[in-house]
Amino acid sequence: MILLTKRVEFCAAHRYTNPRWTDEENQRVFGKCGNEHGHNYVLEVTLQGTPAPETGMVMDLKVLKDIITEAVVDRFDHKHLNRDVPYFKEKIPTPENLAVVIWELLEPRLENCTLHRIRLYEDGTFFVDYYGRRGPQG
Amino acid sequence: VVEATRAYQFSAAHRLHNPRFGPAENARIYGRCNNANGHGHTYRLEVTIRGPVSPDTGGVEDSQRLDRLVRERVLARFDRARLDDLIAPTDGPTSTTEVVAGLIWRLLDGALPAGRLHRLRLEETPNNFFELERNSVGR
Repeated sequence: MILLTKRVEFCAAHRYTNPRWTDEENQRVFGKCGNEHGHNYVLEVTLQGTPAPETGMVMDLKVLKDIITEAVVDRFDHKHLNRDVPYFKEKIPTPENLAVVIWELLEPRLENCTLHRIRLYEDGTFFVDYYGRRGPQG
Repeated sequence: VVEATRAYQFSAAHRLHNPRFGPAENARIYGRCNNANGHGHTYRLEVTIRGPVSPDTGGVEDSQRLDRLVRERVLARFDRARLDDLIAPTDGPTSTTEVVAGLIWRLLDGALPAGRLHRLRLEETPNNFFELERNSVGR
């Protein structure tokens, strides 16, 4: 079994606010992240699979890149996550929630391999890992 | 004379849009950066000062207060902010990284002795960055 990782980047704006809270509660919990701001996100998609005997590849990287571009990058790149992405009308666009939605967008589009991990960097110092509902040990 | 450089980062939203142009023209010029609701970046800023080494501190003159200046005059304004709100018409037509770098130059240069600020490098992404240097571009 091989783990294969493809890295892509996208740039987006967002802000953190919980509409059920008062301004004071939002300010206390989210601080400056309640203001509009943005990030250069780096997404690492890790697949698990067995190299096909004919090609020696787990998956054609061009096909994988096209899937990630269509499912994720085209949706999020140069967008305002709160306003342009319907999923974040209800949810706060933290990297934690972004990683889960990216998993849900990619997982059904992958054939002959398993999505192993979504790693999302918000900047060079902070990232989240999501392994699907099964968790990291699954 | 030594050049000393410090690196910083800030997260900001922006939208490239020149109100003098119509929607089609803005979309043609700025492409995806013209997205109506904006987008954002983790900007990386390098500030270089140039000067004699202080016999008292062993550091380039003013290097001790550079961090405070950058925090107060740049990061406090630009981090977790919408850049379009900070750009005046005299800075430029819209919040391109060229225009933002020019504004940062003005904010820092005015707070340092003449000639101390030597170079600014502002990275919008690791692949797109802009530099201003004293004595180039008429500064």
